[in-house]
Amino acid sequence: MEEDEFIGEKTFQHYCAEFIKHSQQIGDSWEWRPSKDCSDGYMCKIHFQIKNESVMSHPGASTHGQTCLPMEEAFELPSDDCEVIETAAASKVIKYEYHVLYSCSYQVPVLYFRASFLDGRPLTLKDIWEGVHECYKTRLLQGPWDTITQQVFNRPMGSSHLESRSRGKEILFEKEHPILGQPFFVLHPCKTNEFMAPILKNSRKINKNVNYITSWLSIVGPVVGLNLPLSYAKATSQAERNSD
Amino acid sequence: MAEELQSMLQLPPSGAAGGEGLTEVSPETTTPEPPSSAAVSPGTEEPAGDTKKKIDILLKAVGDTPIMKTKKWAVERTRTIQGLIDFIKKFLKLVASEQLFIYVNQSFAPSPDQEVGTLYECFGSDGKLVLHYCKSQAWG
Repeated sequence: MEEDEFIGEKTFQHYCAEFIKHSQQIGDSWEWRPSKDCSDGYMCKIHFQIKNESVMSHPGASTHGQTCLPMEEAFELPSDDCEVIETAAASKVIKYEYHVLYSCSYQVPVLYFRASFLDGRPLTLKDIWEGVHECYKTRLLQGPWDTITQQVFNRPMGSSHLESRSRGKEILFEKEHPILGQPFFVLHPCKTNEFMAPILKNSRKINKNVNYITSWLSIVGPVVGLNLPLSYAKATSQAERNSD
Repeated sequence: MAEELQSMLQLPPSGAAGGEGLTEVSPETTTPEPPSSAAVSPGTEEPAGDTKKKIDILLKAVGDTPIMKTKKWAVERTRTIQGLIDFIKKFLKLVASEQLFIYVNQSFAPSPDQEVGTLYECFGSDGKLVLHYCKSQAWG
C-alpha cells in the first residue's frame, strides 16, 4: 500500500479547516468541535429535514378481532375514525447529524451520523437504511461483505433486498462515538483507501492539490443522505489560483 | 430502462447542427465502434431543437479502469450521474458488485441525483463537460 493514501491526524485537521472555510463562505454550517482536552476534534454538521409520509392504515388489521372475515367484508367495514383513513400526510422533522472523525487505527477519516425526531426519538438503523439511495443499497448489499446487522433485518418484512446474509463485516453499523460516547451509525473505514487511492494518485500525476476531506465526503456522504454542494468541487482550484 | 438509456446516450450524427464542440473529435464520432449493447441507435437523427437539450460529455478513465472506446457522448441535460454510472457500467461490462465513481475536476464525486446539465453549467468548458470515471472495489 502506498504511504500517501493514508493521512496523518494533522493533515486531516488541515483539510477539515480548509473544508470548513469554504463551508462558511457558502453557509453550509459545518463546524469544528474540539474534544475536551483540545488535542483532537471533529467536524460536525446538523441539518433538519422535513419528511412527508403517508400514514396507511389497514382495515383488516383494526381491532375487529375476527381474522376469518372475507376480504370484501373487511374493506366494507365503515368507520369514521382516523385509524381507517387510508392516507394522511404527516410531516415529520428529522434532525440529522454528521460527524467527521479521524481514525488513528485506519489513518483515514470516518463518517459518523445519527438521526432523530424532534422529540428525541432516534431513528433506527432500519429507518436510516430506508433513506439510503437505491443505488447504494445494491452496492452495499452485494459482494463478500455484509452490511446489515442481523437483528434489525431478520424480521420478515417481505422486502427481498433487505434479506441479510451474514458473513464477515458490516459496512453500516452502530458504534459509540469516540469523543461523545453516544451511539452513532458509522460507515466502516476499511475500504476508504480503495476509492481514495485513484484520486490521489491521479492528482499527483497532474500536479493538482486535492482536499482529501472534500473528495472523501463527496463519495461517502451521499450513501447516508449527505450531499455536498457542487461549489466544494471548485473550492480547491480557487485556492490554488488565489495563491499563485 | 436499458432502452431508454440507449436512446439517450447517442453519438451525435456527423454534421449535426450546433456541434461547435464536436468538430475536433469528429474522427472519433463519425466512425463509432458501438459495443455489443448497441448504445448508439443507428439512423436516429437528433432533431435540431434537441441539440440544446443535450450536452457533450467527454469520459476519461482513471487508474486501472478500462478505457471506453467511445469517449464522447451527447447526453440529455436531465440525465443523472447515477444514470450515467449505470450506462458506463453496462458499456464496460462491469459486474454489479464493482463500483463505478464519476468525478468532476478529477476529485469531486457529484451526488447520484445530480443532473449532468447542472454539472455542465458549473464545470463545462470548450463546449463540453469532462468527467473522470473510476472503477473500485469499495464496499464490494
